[in-house]
Amino acid sequence: MNPTPEQIQKINHFSKVPMDMCKKIASVVKIQECQPKDALLTEGDTGDTMVLVFQGQVEVSKNMMVKTASGLTTSRKPIIRLETTDPPPASDPITEPTVFVVEAPAFGIGEFSLVLDDAIRTAHVHATTSVKYGILTLEDFSNIVKENPAIGGSVYFEVAKSAVQNLATASADISNLTQAFFFALTR
Amino acid sequence: MNDNPSPEQFQDPDVSTTELDEVIHANKDLYDKLNKLPEIEALEAITLEDEEKEDDREKSHLFLEALNNLKDLYTENDLVRYAAWAFVLILVSTSALTVTEYEMFKESVTGDVGETFVFGGDEPNWLDTYFHTFWWSIVTFTTVGYGDVSPETHLGKFLTIIIMLLNFGVVTLLGGAVASVLVAKRLTGDDTLDESKFNGHLVIAGWNSYVPSILKLIDANKDATDEVILVNETDRDIIQRVTTGYERLDIHHIPENFTHESVLRKAFLEKAGAFMILPDNSGLLPHEEPDEDKTVLTCLTAKSISESCNVIAHVLDSETVSHLQRANANEIVIPDEHVPHLLAKHVTDPGVPQFFDDLILQEEKDKGLQEVKIPRSLNGQSHNKISAFYKFKYNWLLVGYAIRKAGFSLDDQMGESGSPLIRSMIKEQLEGAGVNLTSDEHVVVEINPPDNYTIDEKHSALVLR
Repeated sequence: MNPTPEQIQKINHFSKVPMDMCKKIASVVKIQECQPKDALLTEGDTGDTMVLVFQGQVEVSKNMMVKTASGLTTSRKPIIRLETTDPPPASDPITEPTVFVVEAPAFGIGEFSLVLDDAIRTAHVHATTSVKYGILTLEDFSNIVKENPAIGGSVYFEVAKSAVQNLATASADISNLTQAFFFALTR
Repeated sequence: MNDNPSPEQFQDPDVSTTELDEVIHANKDLYDKLNKLPEIEALEAITLEDEEKEDDREKSHLFLEALNNLKDLYTENDLVRYAAWAFVLILVSTSALTVTEYEMFKESVTGDVGETFVFGGDEPNWLDTYFHTFWWSIVTFTTVGYGDVSPETHLGKFLTIIIMLLNFGVVTLLGGAVASVLVAKRLTGDDTLDESKFNGHLVIAGWNSYVPSILKLIDANKDATDEVILVNETDRDIIQRVTTGYERLDIHHIPENFTHESVLRKAFLEKAGAFMILPDNSGLLPHEEPDEDKTVLTCLTAKSISESCNVIAHVLDSETVSHLQRANANEIVIPDEHVPHLLAKHVTDPGVPQFFDDLILQEEKDKGLQEVKIPRSLNGQSHNKISAFYKFKYNWLLVGYAIRKAGFSLDDQMGESGSPLIRSMIKEQLEGAGVNLTSDEHVVVEINPPDNYTIDEKHSALVLR
């Protein structure tokens, strides 16, 4: 089953795309369903698909080195949870969130794959409720953009916006880490 | 190869509990009949008997335990062991004396008691005599010696010598035991301080020739705390001699090793206003240098007890300074730091070192350089106004300000920037590694600022009185 053009337009990256274009995008996306704990994206994999989440909650996590009683070890740390509001998840999440939950009518993840053809997934994403999602491949999207270049502008503007935001956060993180590093060294 | 079947092989995994229940149910009548057999009753009786025996055993067990306790007391305590043997020897000697000197002791009983006797009636029998001899032995043993009778035969005198000599051992051991209890109490300084008295007090760890002067200066300033706890292993008499005669100060002494956490806790460090660590000369010969590592170690211990503890460390070796900074000492005093300056100033600015000496060594009350709180109503005023206030109101010269600077806080510094994940991870990891996210409040000075310099509530005035 394909999503409706309205469902596509609810996603932030496609909010400025006219309805008839959304229809074209909807025609290349198939709605699928997955269960809690199923992985949608795996950190470190390369991929050329963007995942469009229409209903449900997902958790984004990253592998990080942490100190435990037995020494240093790598463990997966949750970063954020994303939850749809229109419609809301069909059930409560299987585990209580330990991180901030960001709500949006619907959302896309792995949007950098619409820019790079072998983008490396920078985080792990798994479902915490049952999730209804669709997959938009770079190839399908490129074809639509080739036929209708106007789509590209608004979608790539949103992608660029989130890339710039990520960059700003990353630079603040580097600044925080540098300060913490010097602080720890001088104590 | 091992032919023995493993324990798992004995268990039949196919038998379920419901099957077992079925078997028991089918044989219920048989079980009931078996239970009514006299043999079974006899078996039950046996278990009852066993229980009674168990009771007896418990009683004898208690008796054995008491016996064991006595045995332990006997083997571990010299005094008890000696006293036990002395008692046995006295009993033996008494028995022998009763036999050898029977006539003499019998006469003595008659003379002492009169006409009726506990055991013998009209005439003292051997038990009366034996008891009297025992009494006489104890009188002799304890060196009381009424001297009413004394043995006449050689054997009797020899036995009496044994009794008399036994006394030396008991008296020596008893005296030793009492003395050792007193010495131990004195060494451990078992007197605990009354916690309710201490809040914002001063704790001074270590002992050297500076301590009396420090105490004198603190005593002279009536705004300073009057409760002082000295922690060092210097002889109690020396401390007592030095710490008497102060007008205000109530000085306590904990004669223990101040590097130990438990000792610092006894001084209620978590409630102390200031903790001074000095190079410790306790137990050193005149040419020996105090161990500065102790100062660093004590600073670390103090900060682990209370991060907010205001530690003032005095060091002799400037190499120790970096260690103390790492240990988070609030103030570090190096005595020789000023010496080159003073020497040079004698050449370049004669009079300045003398002025400095006068200022610092001023021990007269309400004289010299002092820190005073600025009235709240003057907050926000400029330096020239504050200066005029002190000049005209008190005739004091305002030379500068002591400013309490808040410590650096990594948490505040990071604010809301970057991703919350990284921020919380930084905090988590640093706290896990025992690194405090904030540095302590410290004091900086501003000397002779420009006239328009504005002061706030963090400032206090440094005045020359």
